[in-house]
Amino acid sequence: MKTSKKEKLSLFKKMLTVRAFEQKAGELFQQNLIPGFIHLSIGQEASSIGTCSVLRTDDYVASTHRGHGHMIGKGADPRMMFAELFGKTTGYCKGKGGSMHIADFSVGILGANGVVGGGFPIMIGAGLSIKLRKTDQVGVVFFGDGAANRGTFHEACNMAAILKLPIIFLCENNLYASTTPSEYTLAGGSVAGRAGGYGIPGHAVDGNDILEVRNVVEKAVARARKGKGPSIVENMTYRYRGHFEGDPQKYRSTDEIDTHRKTSDPIERFKKHLQKEGILTTELEDKIKKDVTKLIGEAVQFGQDAPLPRPEDALEDLFVNP
Amino acid sequence: MIEITIPKLGLTMERAKLGRWEFSSGDAVKEGETILVIETDKVSFDMPAPSDGIIHPIVPEGITCAVEEIVGYLAKNREEYERIIEEHPFGEAEGTEKVETSQAGAVSQAGQPATMPPSSVGPKGRIKASPLARSMAATNNLALSAIAGSGPGGRVVRIDILRVLEEAPAIAGERVERPPQEISKGIAIKEISESIPIQGVRRVILDNMHQSLSQSAQLSLHTEACAEPLIALRERFSRDGEKVSFNAILVKISAMALRLHPRINASVEGDNIRVWRQVHIGVAMEANDALIVPVVRNPDIKTIREIDHEILELIQKTRENKLSLDDLANGTFTISNLGFADIDFFTPIIRPPESAILGVGRIIKKPSVRNDHVIPEARIGLSLTFDHRIIDGAPGARFLKTIKEMVEDPLLMIS
Amino acid sequence: MSNREISCSTALREALEEEMERDDTIFIIGEDLVAHGGIFGQFEGLPERFPGRVIDSPISETCIVGSGVGAALTGMRPIVDMHFADFVTTGMDEIANQMAKIRYMFGGQAKVPMVLWAPDGGGLSAAAQHSQSLESWFVHIPGLKVVAPSEPSDVKGLIKAAIRDDDPVIFFQHKRLFAQTGHVPEDEYIIPIGSAAVKRPGKDITILTYSRMTYLCLEAAEQLAKEEIDVEIVDLRTLKPLDFALIAESVKKTYNVLIVHEACLTGGFGGEIAARIGEELFDYLDAPVMRIGAKDVPIPFSPVMEDFVLPKVSDVVEGVKKVLNR
Repeated sequence: MKTSKKEKLSLFKKMLTVRAFEQKAGELFQQNLIPGFIHLSIGQEASSIGTCSVLRTDDYVASTHRGHGHMIGKGADPRMMFAELFGKTTGYCKGKGGSMHIADFSVGILGANGVVGGGFPIMIGAGLSIKLRKTDQVGVVFFGDGAANRGTFHEACNMAAILKLPIIFLCENNLYASTTPSEYTLAGGSVAGRAGGYGIPGHAVDGNDILEVRNVVEKAVARARKGKGPSIVENMTYRYRGHFEGDPQKYRSTDEIDTHRKTSDPIERFKKHLQKEGILTTELEDKIKKDVTKLIGEAVQFGQDAPLPRPEDALEDLFVNP
Repeated sequence: MIEITIPKLGLTMERAKLGRWEFSSGDAVKEGETILVIETDKVSFDMPAPSDGIIHPIVPEGITCAVEEIVGYLAKNREEYERIIEEHPFGEAEGTEKVETSQAGAVSQAGQPATMPPSSVGPKGRIKASPLARSMAATNNLALSAIAGSGPGGRVVRIDILRVLEEAPAIAGERVERPPQEISKGIAIKEISESIPIQGVRRVILDNMHQSLSQSAQLSLHTEACAEPLIALRERFSRDGEKVSFNAILVKISAMALRLHPRINASVEGDNIRVWRQVHIGVAMEANDALIVPVVRNPDIKTIREIDHEILELIQKTRENKLSLDDLANGTFTISNLGFADIDFFTPIIRPPESAILGVGRIIKKPSVRNDHVIPEARIGLSLTFDHRIIDGAPGARFLKTIKEMVEDPLLMIS
Repeated sequence: MSNREISCSTALREALEEEMERDDTIFIIGEDLVAHGGIFGQFEGLPERFPGRVIDSPISETCIVGSGVGAALTGMRPIVDMHFADFVTTGMDEIANQMAKIRYMFGGQAKVPMVLWAPDGGGLSAAAQHSQSLESWFVHIPGLKVVAPSEPSDVKGLIKAAIRDDDPVIFFQHKRLFAQTGHVPEDEYIIPIGSAAVKRPGKDITILTYSRMTYLCLEAAEQLAKEEIDVEIVDLRTLKPLDFALIAESVKKTYNVLIVHEACLTGGFGGEIAARIGEELFDYLDAPVMRIGAKDVPIPFSPVMEDFVLPKVSDVVEGVKKVLNR
């Protein structure tokens, strides 16, 4: 697919935004200003931003515990995200969800999910709903290599295939299911390879090349919009941070992380591409970085200034009709 | 099997009366539930179950037992319980001292109709009744002990209350109604309205008060102090709206005054006057219809805020019946404050073996003369009773004057 | 006004037909629906009447329940058929972690208007994995409403309320009652979720029950009437939210309570009701609240054993007498 210069710069800025958001979230977490636990996707920005960039606002996304990138990619507001991370009442979920349960139904985000593989069945329902309402929306369910081994994945692939639901199963294979290498957990060694069993297309993609991600996801989306059914896309990527912030990461070496960072960082790679094409000047880069820093700074401030919920707000929002 | 023994509640305690069993033999109890109320000459104490189990009391209520004496057992399970009741029938504890055996007064205050034996009363005086029957009995002023229960195990149930209300309205009437006032106008005899047994803490108070007045020579002096500095001091100590109590300040003042007048902090023991090294000040409180005087330790070396906390803790313990004997023992001086009842001056009675007691009256604005002008000023009444056998009038008066001066100028406390 | 009597099955089908006619966002998804009309024939005629809106699923309970959640979140009103209530276990994450919690954990952004229809109960020699009464699992999960009607008119009025409700409702319908007939009005009506009903007025004791046990208790009450024991039967109909106001009204009248459910006794919903009565109505009790439930074993296959395990009319009669010390 063709990507204009303007679009490319916008993609670059969004990738930087996700990274800045997560680096800041990590810092605040270490300062004990964010309660609970958070899972960062630093290193996976090409996958989240590339995928979301080919979707329309009315398309659906089901996200995961590592979902900040999907949120920002799909158009969620970093200010309300930070407010939610701080457990404030102006957060997306009024402080009831936290990092793991951010949702913004107004831009088609059906929620991040704390259960690994929890998004598949929900996306089946959204796909069914699209089909019954006869619209041309599509749905993307993000998942990791770990979730590919849940029964929900297989049930959902099968059901989406037989009902020809407009769904893209978007695997972000970052090589580790929590702390266990997918080399060990993933029979057959490939998530995309499993598509054959369901008679649907499966694509393994260099998930750190944002333009490649866009090309492949775009194909799968176009197919789904035409009513031809689901696809599996497997973005091969890598996360630099632990499974959760504070993860001692005994399962891999710092050398391994450094190698990935040096050789295939999605932002650096895209930057080189932009520079080669003459789209990104040093001045422009500085300006974009400044804009992003300002945006995230304001978002953090918004979150910190936001009021805490009243304790008894815990009793609200359970039922529409209690 | 766990032995239930009389706990030692304070350094000085040797024996205690078994006040009331809260469970009957065979009842399952949970760890921490109150199983037994123990009465000493100073406090009553709720004794918690040491663990879960099935209870079997062996000593009846009203008996006085030595510390560590076994008064019952807690079985782990039914089999063990069956074995225990075989081996230790109720009422057959060894070595029980039968000091007070009459418990009739506690069970029922009014005459019971002869036609209705109280079958619902267990051997321990605990009455089985349904919640509904209990609330009906309370509403109608019926003593459950006077009602035969027809429910399972003799439980008093709704129908039993209904029967009593139907068959014997006179019983109910007799217990509840006081004779109408009109009748008493002409009546010459006096009738008993209520008969309250003198026992437990009341017995102790009665004996102590009498002993105090009969064995010492008590003299009371009264003075009045400007209370404005006291009020100002209290304001200055308030933190987050939490104010320290006047009592806390007065305990501190008394302690510092006692330091300056050590001979007041003394007791008569045989042929000696013992002057005490420590100052321990009792604060008189009202608890469950009885006077109780828990003691603040060493207030002379504590801050007013510490003293305030300690008093609050003692109040809490008093309310919850959790005072130990140690909380009550070894006082050297007492403060009694009746200001709450608009009392200005009174003649408090010394608590032997102490030799003095401060009576505190209310704080109220009064006209006061300052520089020949009458101005409104908060004043506080102070009364001191002391044992004239060992404290002469003049030293007693000087002591009270010191207190008055410290009330009016609290800085003197650190002089 | 007619006095027509129809079965619980017919009442359900009638209600679904009326509702699907009224609102085209309603669809049904589950196993064996299109050709078979549901494993018990409960949806017969609906696939033809509403083509494409009665959807056959593969045997994928996770996705059956999940598809209800996803569709409800995106504007539909799904009814998911659990085949047998016992199979909730295979879709439990979607019920307990998604369906129940999504609205709350997303701060009320979304609603989940769906019905999970679950035929439950024993008495059919269907053995341990096809006979359970699992309602107490679900009343324990905040975010779910739980309905368990007995008679046909309640089935119709309550399934309509459940479909129209904007929150997820678990609708248990007892398999042994499918053929049970009763009067069902022909005019449109709805029974609000959260309302119990006195199915037999009495003054001596209140029996709190629901689902099939309501009929069992009515039978016991007739026997007890011969011994001049006047039983009041309250059919809870909805377990969550619980109509405690009606329970209190009845207990304040009779002072005695027996709770009867088909689910096994330990950890059953009866314990919850008993505790609440103890807390809120203590001074109105003239005897301990008692419970009757199935014995604490899986439901056995052989009819002699199944009869022994499930509560019987005679158990209820004895239970009442025990409470009343008669």
